[in-house]
Amino acid sequence: MKAVGARLPRYDGIGHVTGRTVYVDDVRIPGSLWVKALRSPSHNAKIVKLDTGPAEAMKGVHAVVTHKDVPLNVYGHLSALGIPGDEPLLAEGDVRYQGQPIAVVAAESEELASAAVEAIVLELDEQPALFDVRKAFDADAPQIHQWGNWYPHFEAEMDRRQIRKGDIDAAFDQADVIVQGVYRPAAIEHVPLETQVCQVVPEPSGRLTIYSCTQALYFSMGVVSAHLQQPLNRFKFVGGTVGGGFGGKVDTATETMCSLLALKSGKPVRWRWTREEEFLCSSTRAPWHMEIADALTKDGWILGRKMLTLHDSGAYARFSPYGLTKHSFHHTGAYTIPNLHFDGYVVFTNRVPTTAMRGFGVTSVSFATETHMSRVAHVLGIDPFELRLKNANRIGDTSPNGVTYTDPSTVPTIQAIAESLGHELPGEYRAMTPGKREGDLLPEHLVGQLGNPEAH
Amino acid sequence: MAIHKGLGFSAIEYPTGMNQNGDPSQAWIKIKPDGRVDVFAGTSDIGNGSKTIQSQIVAETLGVPYDWVTYDNSNTDSSPVCTGTFASRATFVAGMAVKKAAEKVRERVLEIASKELEIDPADLDIVDGEVIAKGSPQKKINVADVAAAATWTYGELLTGTGAQLKEYAAIVDPESGRVDLPPHSAISYAACAAEVEVDDETGEVTVTRLVSCYDVGRAINPTLVEGQIEGGAIQGLGLGVLENCYPYYPSVEHRGGQFGAYLAPGMEDLPQLETLIIENPSSDGPYGAKGIGEMANNPQPPAIASAVYDAVGVWVTELPITPERILRALEAKAEPRREGKLVAFDDELSINAVGSGSVRFE
Amino acid sequence: MKLTVNGIEREVESAPLTPLLFVLRDELEVESPKAGCQQGGCGACTVLVDGEPRRSCLTPVAAVDGAQITTVEGLGSPENLAPLQQAFTHHYAAQCGFCTAGMIMAAQAYLDNWGAEDREMIQTALAGHVCRCTGYVKIVDAIAAVARGDSFDITITAESHDTTNVGGTQ
Repeated sequence: MKAVGARLPRYDGIGHVTGRTVYVDDVRIPGSLWVKALRSPSHNAKIVKLDTGPAEAMKGVHAVVTHKDVPLNVYGHLSALGIPGDEPLLAEGDVRYQGQPIAVVAAESEELASAAVEAIVLELDEQPALFDVRKAFDADAPQIHQWGNWYPHFEAEMDRRQIRKGDIDAAFDQADVIVQGVYRPAAIEHVPLETQVCQVVPEPSGRLTIYSCTQALYFSMGVVSAHLQQPLNRFKFVGGTVGGGFGGKVDTATETMCSLLALKSGKPVRWRWTREEEFLCSSTRAPWHMEIADALTKDGWILGRKMLTLHDSGAYARFSPYGLTKHSFHHTGAYTIPNLHFDGYVVFTNRVPTTAMRGFGVTSVSFATETHMSRVAHVLGIDPFELRLKNANRIGDTSPNGVTYTDPSTVPTIQAIAESLGHELPGEYRAMTPGKREGDLLPEHLVGQLGNPEAH
Repeated sequence: MAIHKGLGFSAIEYPTGMNQNGDPSQAWIKIKPDGRVDVFAGTSDIGNGSKTIQSQIVAETLGVPYDWVTYDNSNTDSSPVCTGTFASRATFVAGMAVKKAAEKVRERVLEIASKELEIDPADLDIVDGEVIAKGSPQKKINVADVAAAATWTYGELLTGTGAQLKEYAAIVDPESGRVDLPPHSAISYAACAAEVEVDDETGEVTVTRLVSCYDVGRAINPTLVEGQIEGGAIQGLGLGVLENCYPYYPSVEHRGGQFGAYLAPGMEDLPQLETLIIENPSSDGPYGAKGIGEMANNPQPPAIASAVYDAVGVWVTELPITPERILRALEAKAEPRREGKLVAFDDELSINAVGSGSVRFE
Repeated sequence: MKLTVNGIEREVESAPLTPLLFVLRDELEVESPKAGCQQGGCGACTVLVDGEPRRSCLTPVAAVDGAQITTVEGLGSPENLAPLQQAFTHHYAAQCGFCTAGMIMAAQAYLDNWGAEDREMIQTALAGHVCRCTGYVKIVDAIAAVARGDSFDITITAESHDTTNVGGTQ
């Protein structure tokens, strides 16, 4: 009996329907302390005073951890990809978003932990905040990040992600029509049914057992290892069964702080975020601002595309430079556009840092470019299926960053939808395939961009 | 007051694997003395079903029944590296790691079986837990007996390891963005049509139907693929018409901290869903699979926006498409600016209108 | 205080205002109901109290002193799955599984009190249950199937009536 292609039942299905699947919060560890965080009430402020003494003095409070307790407080989670660190594990000197963690406490009950957080003395000096990515470049914009208001460390220390291809000016000169628009999808929350949760047990051997809801066991272990400056075998991550993630549980938002509390108190600790924390303090999908102008012939060829993207990264970079890079590689969507001028910026604002969410970088560009294609079809008076089919990627076409397409399925997926809607396509469109461009499908302006599908 | 119907559609593509890659997944497999199979892989199952898919891949590759396979991703002491479950990589990248491990252990099984049967390994196959001689299926030995022989006759631990690592694609020219290798392991494709009803008095947009076509390369488990598509459709619907962390973006005021204030899609938002799955295999994924996990929530928002235009003649390009935005757009009846060959929409949203700095869109 | 949980009488020592959810999870070690939101907004904590679905995160245990509490552990076991549990397995109505226990209890209450094989009614009855993974389709499929009186083969998962595999393009 074949296994691949078979509708076999879920490996863990019986556990789910009988309530026996064990998630992090279902693990019972006697003697666990409750964790709560002191979070910034302000959007942007300097920390004038932070005194955890009153909390530490409380009976039943076993440990309080601040930036002083973190061996390496600022560690770039994607430093292996050349993205330097900018975000402190626990705030040091300033806070840049409402909800930013400043201190964490471990106490004998949830109520005590909350009371301990209240007891910490925090004095802030409010600073002007920046929320609109379009204003980040203004001469009088508040400077809210040590790198300036936008990320300056792309390759060759460029301050933007750039795509250039062909001759954009010639494309716009030759165009019969130029269609321009602005696209702004919102930040949304991952809303996993299981909120962020973690338990850490200090073992007699000196190791830490970390029960984690992470989507990325080894990635998160690497993060904890770097912040704590300890080798990987100091930690045993236990997990792999997650109550939903959608990209929001790669950030390693709890494991490091819980590890520090477990080490400092010598006791197991448990941190389960409330739903309110999950909605208001956990990282979100990024809001994006995208402006597109397409140079078009009146019979529906896209000669060129100019695009400006502002990616709202929130207060710190996190994974944003990676997301913007992926976005830039896909800014032509499923179509072959030979002349390109793309500039993208990772812009800082005083909101919760944004992170990966299902489709990271490409969800936004798909929304912008596809809505734009529908507008183009409307302005030119061309059937939206036909417009897409003629411009669709084909074998031998090249992408914005120079990759040659070997087997794109844009043509058949569009044809399948047209058919299921009962939308009658003219014969030549019904007959189209993803095969190499030739004849009417290879106008002059697409010849230069052709690549060799065998090359890679 | 009237309800207007509209139809819109979109066609998209999506890459598999961490962008530019360099994200390893590894696996190791051992066989117990009775032939049962233990798989150790570090991939988190976030609901996507990676435990299931990887077990299916191992069963298929090794030639044993699915219920002979035990999958352990529970901890980092016994499991090797998997970079994580994201970037739609759990089936392709992590799946290839377990497939390679299964191929290695299959070789060892055939090696022992060949000694027991005195037949060359190249003339043997494994089907449903039996090693059989190709062409003479009466000459066979059960994998359970092979494992027993390995344990007590030959003194061998039947094991295999696999690692999948796509070479890192460098940006060789930062000014143009050109790369030296494809930054993805595969690209998946989809198209989606949305039918909506828009109430021109309340502004409410109801998505009534979503018709989608997905090319997933190969559906390792078609039911799990449907699950991704259906779950993604509702998340895409949420992104399109319901959800917003910052209802007055860019302001941070009035954030919703609980269900009811933050509008996650519920059962009553469910439209009619129809899905077509195409299998245009990848050249080097496990059994031709590509990725599906993330792409599933990408095509709906633009299809919905286009359908809204079709219904009531306004373009709402800020998400979510709320009743307020519909009503304001209907009131404004904005026309694009036309200057020569330029047709410019949304001038008021542009950085040119709002910002005063060095970055402009020109 | 006393509760009969899944047919077994249990003594309760927790303070009277302790939410039933945490009495079950922390004191009585019945962990299927989940702390999804603690605001009554998601349904993952739903248990049956004398046959009625209740948000255990918002129910102080003193308010249900003496009641019969049913959770998914009491509905059926891996060796003896209830029809709804079989249906959820066969129809692939659980992905991450976190909402599943609460969803199944509410569905059981629907079947016990109404039971019509009417997708709209099912959707309305479970409108207060959030699932982020499945998109709800297969959950409704599973409940409708039990309402219809289907029997289930849990060695295989169901094919969706909404999906067609059109096969390869090559």
